[in-house]
Amino acid sequence: MSGGPKKYDAIVVGAGPAGLSAAAELGRAGARTLVLDRDTRPGGQLVKQTHKFFGSEKQRAGTRGVEIARLLREEVAALPAVEMWLNSTVLGFYSDRVITVERVKDAPGEERREWLEKVTAPVFVLATGAAERFLPFPNNDLPGIYGAGAAQTLMNVHGVRPGRRVVMVGAGNIGLIVSYQLLQAGVEVAAIVEAAPVIGGYLVHAAKVRRAGVPILTSHTVKEAHGREALEGVTVWRLDEKWQPVPGTEKYIAADVLCLATGLSPLAELLFQAGCQMAYVPELGGHVPVHGEDLETSVPGVFVAGDVSGVEEASAAMVEGHLAGLGAAARLGLVRDLAAVAAGWRAELASLRAGPSGEKIRRGLAKLAGQTAGMAASSPAGSPVSPASAPAASAPAAPPPATSAPKPGKPGRTLSPQLTSTGEPAASELESSLPPADRRRQGPYAVIECFQEIPCDPCHKACRTGAIGPFPDINLTPAYEAAHCNGCALCVAQCPGLACFVVDENYSPSEALLKLPYEFLPLPAAGHTVDLLDRTGALVGSGRVVRVVRSRSKLATPVVWVTVPSEKVGTVRNIRVPATKGGAAE
Amino acid sequence: MKTTADAVIIGGGITGCATAFELARNGMKNVVLLEKEYLASGATGRCGAGVRQQFGTRINCLMSKASVELFENLNDYLGFDGDIEFNQGGYLLLAHSEATMAQFAKNVALENSLGIPARLCTPEEAKEIVPHLNTEGLVGASFCAEDGHLNPFKVTQAYAEAAQRLGVEVRKFTEATGLIMEGGRVAGVRTAAGDLATPLVLNATGSHAPLIAKTAGVDLPIIGERHQILVTEPVAPLQKPMVISFQYGVYCQQTPHGSFIMGVGDPHEPKGFDQGHSWDFLHRVAEKIAWLLPPLAGIRIVRQWSGIYDLTEDNQPVLDEAPAGCGHFIAAGFSGHGFMLGPTVGRIMAAKMLGQTPPIDVSALNLGRFARRELVLEPSVV
Repeated sequence: MSGGPKKYDAIVVGAGPAGLSAAAELGRAGARTLVLDRDTRPGGQLVKQTHKFFGSEKQRAGTRGVEIARLLREEVAALPAVEMWLNSTVLGFYSDRVITVERVKDAPGEERREWLEKVTAPVFVLATGAAERFLPFPNNDLPGIYGAGAAQTLMNVHGVRPGRRVVMVGAGNIGLIVSYQLLQAGVEVAAIVEAAPVIGGYLVHAAKVRRAGVPILTSHTVKEAHGREALEGVTVWRLDEKWQPVPGTEKYIAADVLCLATGLSPLAELLFQAGCQMAYVPELGGHVPVHGEDLETSVPGVFVAGDVSGVEEASAAMVEGHLAGLGAAARLGLVRDLAAVAAGWRAELASLRAGPSGEKIRRGLAKLAGQTAGMAASSPAGSPVSPASAPAASAPAAPPPATSAPKPGKPGRTLSPQLTSTGEPAASELESSLPPADRRRQGPYAVIECFQEIPCDPCHKACRTGAIGPFPDINLTPAYEAAHCNGCALCVAQCPGLACFVVDENYSPSEALLKLPYEFLPLPAAGHTVDLLDRTGALVGSGRVVRVVRSRSKLATPVVWVTVPSEKVGTVRNIRVPATKGGAAE
Repeated sequence: MKTTADAVIIGGGITGCATAFELARNGMKNVVLLEKEYLASGATGRCGAGVRQQFGTRINCLMSKASVELFENLNDYLGFDGDIEFNQGGYLLLAHSEATMAQFAKNVALENSLGIPARLCTPEEAKEIVPHLNTEGLVGASFCAEDGHLNPFKVTQAYAEAAQRLGVEVRKFTEATGLIMEGGRVAGVRTAAGDLATPLVLNATGSHAPLIAKTAGVDLPIIGERHQILVTEPVAPLQKPMVISFQYGVYCQQTPHGSFIMGVGDPHEPKGFDQGHSWDFLHRVAEKIAWLLPPLAGIRIVRQWSGIYDLTEDNQPVLDEAPAGCGHFIAAGFSGHGFMLGPTVGRIMAAKMLGQTPPIDVSALNLGRFARRELVLEPSVV
């Protein structure tokens, strides 16, 4: 027998955004905390997320995921009360609240060692995340068929391209973001196939891949995969309004990689083992623990945070991590007035979920709330809770708008079917993003092609002239007043959705100047001639690069200033650097 | 849904499914089997899946010998579409004391007299059979090449499917809550989904059998005791026989797909219906197995679980109708060797319920033996 379990004040399982945020709260409160993660580096899925986050400043909006991972890691590493075991897989949660852990030491030059540890604590935060779902279709076991997250890990963690030509299944945020990152890695994306009639992810992500030339086939699914040794192609077909395939609509797409981004399921095994009351809530991804707003499960002292409590965005996972960490610390008697300390985070969470993109989560949480009746009513960590969808009561009220101040977008805006099904805005939507004609002639102005209500506000934070007003509700679309805009393009560099552009119609008698965000390598240099592409990625002309602005901040997107024939300034939204003139070699 | 039946079987483990099949095979038309979860969800699906004929009592030798004969041809007998994965790699019983070896000598004499080809082995002979066996402290062993192990889920499924083809209705996720008694006779079974009228009931609910029996006014001296078990990752074929040590309370077999299944007894396991598990079990098994079968030390454990032994005072089942003539038949209390006896017990209980003479005389395994102190002690159990 190799001894009894090691004792801690708190144990956090999972060092992703939720777990690290919880560990930070526990560590700051002085709890001797052990963080366990099976990976060799902390950060969870953040370490491969090269895109900028949405949300607000408190959830590090505008910062790339990989950078957030570093910040969280440093924050936790600076707390002496927190100990982290990496390469440590949690195997079981036993009835005496002991967790078993498989530990591995695999340092270069040393003999690999594996052993079993037992640890226990009065409180736990289980932040184990979620796993990718698979899709049944003939030949779905051919080499070359990956979960989208696996392809992302290959590229962004290990520096390996998964293949040459990809078909992506799923137009949720993961499908859209991974498609874009595949393009960045120099992989062709033949199509994004989505069974639903509308794009599920943020439409600004859809617009990014669309203007790089990737078609988004909504109401389509995979019929079968083809290949002998490995994937050679995919047949897709259309679905009717009842989600039934329509024979005769088959399309063959040659591809050596098929990525599945068809949703996530919470990794709830430990919760089942711990005896937590579970509920099946499709809106939250499947089997999730019944829990209240304090994120405590039906087993006292066992808290959850992040995707395992219901699949959501990483911004929400971080806020939940803070709340679960605070709740667990309160359970230990290390946080006195939990209600007051947690109020800010609760408001953040409510605000993240308040808009149309949070509708599904709100529906799922409401279903879950129906299950909490069976739980013990008195929860020492708890406090009077308000519904998740309640307005952010403690959010600072917006100053009353002055007469010429930007007017916020109206909530409940209707999007065109063209935009939601293809990612290309309709003419009326584009028209609405333009200032009045007389203003356009007066000098440079910003065009913000952000039509969907999503929780995001970095454009306002970036704007120094007051042209982009504050967000009374983070889910509203930006409030832009061209009268205050000087065309500085700081919003272009900051927008996580790459949806801001600056247009100067007076650049020359025949040319306009377009300042656009560009996240591909090699970057062009001043003087280079580049291809001009429209919102579908089609070639519409050529332009000359005037300047490339790269901020010293790692967070900013490079902004390319390019000349565009005057009549095409409303059409061009992307550039392509021809291989021979791109400057730097690959 | 029918509300009457000629017989109702309570329990979808091997005992219940085999009896249901044998009843239908012998012409009973209207049989309903009730299972509160899924088939083999209780002790059958949780067991170590071994089948041996090496026992210390005549009755167990006879029943297990008949079972092995049935298992050998079960795929054909039941018209099973799959394979029950019967692997007759033998059972090697280890003796780490002179006393155990003396018991084995008695057992082998009895076994041989009944036609069971078991033999005594020296430690060297044991090592020839299982070359990776640590023979330190080993006095000797008993080996029977006809013994082996198989897949309990597939066996149960095979019986259930064959029974259904003969008209038996299998109701899963339907819990029997008790018997309806009228004038001292069984009149029906209460279920969560309504009453079912029947004159004949088989109580094949393992450790839960006393709860059903109580509703017939019968005090059944069976207690539940948790036993833990684990399975490893699959590795290349290494070990054909089941290796078992009564002294150390361990058993260990390698399944056809390469996983090792093993368990160890512990007198401190909780009594009752606890089907949880403990982390110290992993240490106890690892310690014993790594010593006994050293090459297994590096293999990863992938899962652990537990099942409930339905223990009686003499480690033998109750195969009886109680009270006599009332229609409440009991096949429970197998004390850890119910799976291997299942096919034979199915035949015995069906015969009893049909009023026929059972193929093996099991009258000694009556319920009254505990009160009369006529125990049929089985010395050779884990």
